[in-house]
Amino acid sequence: MEQMLADAAERIFRDQCTKPALDAAESGQFPARLWQLLCENGFQLMALPDSGAELADLFAVLRVAGRFAAPLPLAEALLANRWLGGEGGDRTADALNTVALVAQDGNPQWLDAPWGRAARRIVGVADDGAVFAGKPVAVREAFNLAGEPRDQVEVRDVRPLPCAEPPLALLALARVAQSAGALERVLELGIGYAQEREQFGRPIARFQAVQHMLAMVAAEVAAAGRASDAAVAAIGSDRFALEVAAAKSRVGEAVGLVAEAVHQVHGAMGFTHEHQLHHFTRRLWAWRDECGSEAHWQALLGRRLCALGADQVWDFLATSS
Amino acid sequence: MPMLQFDPVQLPKAAEALRHEVRDFLATNSDRISAPNSDFSSGHDADFSARLGERGWIGMTWPKAYGGAERSFFERYVVTEELLAAGAPVSAHWIADRQSGPLLLSAGSEEQRARYLPAIIRGASFFSIGMSEPGTGSDLASVRTVAKPVAGGWRVSGTKLWTTDAHRNHYMIALVRTAPADGNRHGGLSQLIIDLAAPGVTIRPIRNMAGGEDFNEVVFDDVFVADADVVGEPGNGWSQVTSELGYERSGPERFLSAFRVYVEFVRLVGADPERSEAAAVGRIAAHLMTLRRMSMSVAGMLENGKTPNVEAALVKELGNNFEKLLPEIARAAAPLSRSGDGGAQARFRQTYAETLLLSPSFTLRGGTREILRGVIARGLGLR
Repeated sequence: MEQMLADAAERIFRDQCTKPALDAAESGQFPARLWQLLCENGFQLMALPDSGAELADLFAVLRVAGRFAAPLPLAEALLANRWLGGEGGDRTADALNTVALVAQDGNPQWLDAPWGRAARRIVGVADDGAVFAGKPVAVREAFNLAGEPRDQVEVRDVRPLPCAEPPLALLALARVAQSAGALERVLELGIGYAQEREQFGRPIARFQAVQHMLAMVAAEVAAAGRASDAAVAAIGSDRFALEVAAAKSRVGEAVGLVAEAVHQVHGAMGFTHEHQLHHFTRRLWAWRDECGSEAHWQALLGRRLCALGADQVWDFLATSS
Repeated sequence: MPMLQFDPVQLPKAAEALRHEVRDFLATNSDRISAPNSDFSSGHDADFSARLGERGWIGMTWPKAYGGAERSFFERYVVTEELLAAGAPVSAHWIADRQSGPLLLSAGSEEQRARYLPAIIRGASFFSIGMSEPGTGSDLASVRTVAKPVAGGWRVSGTKLWTTDAHRNHYMIALVRTAPADGNRHGGLSQLIIDLAAPGVTIRPIRNMAGGEDFNEVVFDDVFVADADVVGEPGNGWSQVTSELGYERSGPERFLSAFRVYVEFVRLVGADPERSEAAAVGRIAAHLMTLRRMSMSVAGMLENGKTPNVEAALVKELGNNFEKLLPEIARAAAPLSRSGDGGAQARFRQTYAETLLLSPSFTLRGGTREILRGVIARGLGLR
């Protein structure tokens, strides 16, 4: 199931997530055709409890979305529909719902909503994990550093939604899975460019300095992928939030090293707007800060370990397989 | 990229049961772990190794015919990681268990297995690695120690360097030149089992920067080695030695060397840490959780008969870098004060200092970081 869904999603993303499409989305234009195709294939419903898919499948699809820098709020849309449950409304229409976090100023009426401008309904998540639904009535447009719409949205008719799962950890895991996918792509871009770009009469891949940078990148990408898989595998377990914490931390650390090195490999070409590399690296830089930075999740995990005590730390590590 | 895929491994129940046996053993033998150090080559304690042998925890995956227990790689993994995490002295039997025994099982003669394996398994016979030389480090094929054929065996002359515990161990498995290179520098190399007490062997300790005398210079002056102590066919040394390195690179010893610093760091920050202290604790844990899973994935590949050379190199690259990063993270976040030097603070300072002084070796032994990056780059198709 997981592989089938991921393959189907990959076909759509490969076709739709072109450089012009990414640029258009960064100008604030919602990729309606991409969303419509995903809806026609039932992806908007895949996180509903009765969809037949596992929650893990959602994260497999998000990892693919990350590989293609899919310029839409897929995780937010699918999780919003999940938490709206039966209230998801017209399931066949291509209306978008999105998940928003309570804005940092703490005013529950203004939410930090990815693609809030395009959303029909807003599912808000408060700092304490409380989930509620609201209707957007006003939008202040804003973007994250990757040019992804992160709008301030005013909501009305707010009412609580029952949510039996940890919404903040699931949202953080979404960024983890997307990042794991984008990291894989960045490594591929780095290898491809190093093999094709020639200087001093040979591909720069022949230079040991370049080889070593990309070897380090490969190791980081492998670690990020393994950390992401482990957190996905922990869905539903009592360690889930701690596994997400570890993954968000490890992936965030990989992002800094990988983006720096692969930009270096690409030289000035990778610094141009024309090149596609920045669509991935800017997202990686944005996502490591979204849904809780490394420091936030590290502190959460660290506090738990400190509470266990120095002589129990090993047991905690050794019983997480 | 398949080489970047590290599939999850679920430890079998038997391995988890074994974990508790090992912890009970460690509690009972805590008198042997007065100064815990997770570095696998710190702490040579023949008596402790003998006790492990008694429990059947050396050579535990090897055939019963030689005294082994035919247990899985995963069970061995659990034993080794528990010993390292506790900082137990494992250096004496470590190389024989990890490397020399498996080499004899894959390339050695029946006679060699029957002769050497049972004593290794009992924790009574210890081996050293004989690869590096004064002119040979990363470029292993450049070894100049020579074995010349004589009646019934070989005469060995040359010098091996950085030989850990040669002055305490019984044997060295040395890579030597038994025939001229003749165009193929990987040809003409052989592995010999050399008795370190044999006439003509001179062992000089080399003091390391941490003050320890663990590694040595070993000089062979016309040392006789019988034909029966050639491992595999003469001339086949290169392929044997390179496959041996795969086993060496991905185990828990490649990311746990600095683990005791972490334990003392957690003790120091206490149950109610500042946010930055808690974040440092969590950051280290995130690395450890990921590395352990990757390392176990490679154990799973070995268990399934694969040769995950690039995957092992990736684990070692990440693990060794992390072993150096851990003390740095802890140091930067540690709430140390000039006045407080008793208890937790003293333990942290001591463990940190010991580990820091050993840390340059972490990215050198078992293949330098630079050589491993070359292995990875080849796997990526860059060379």
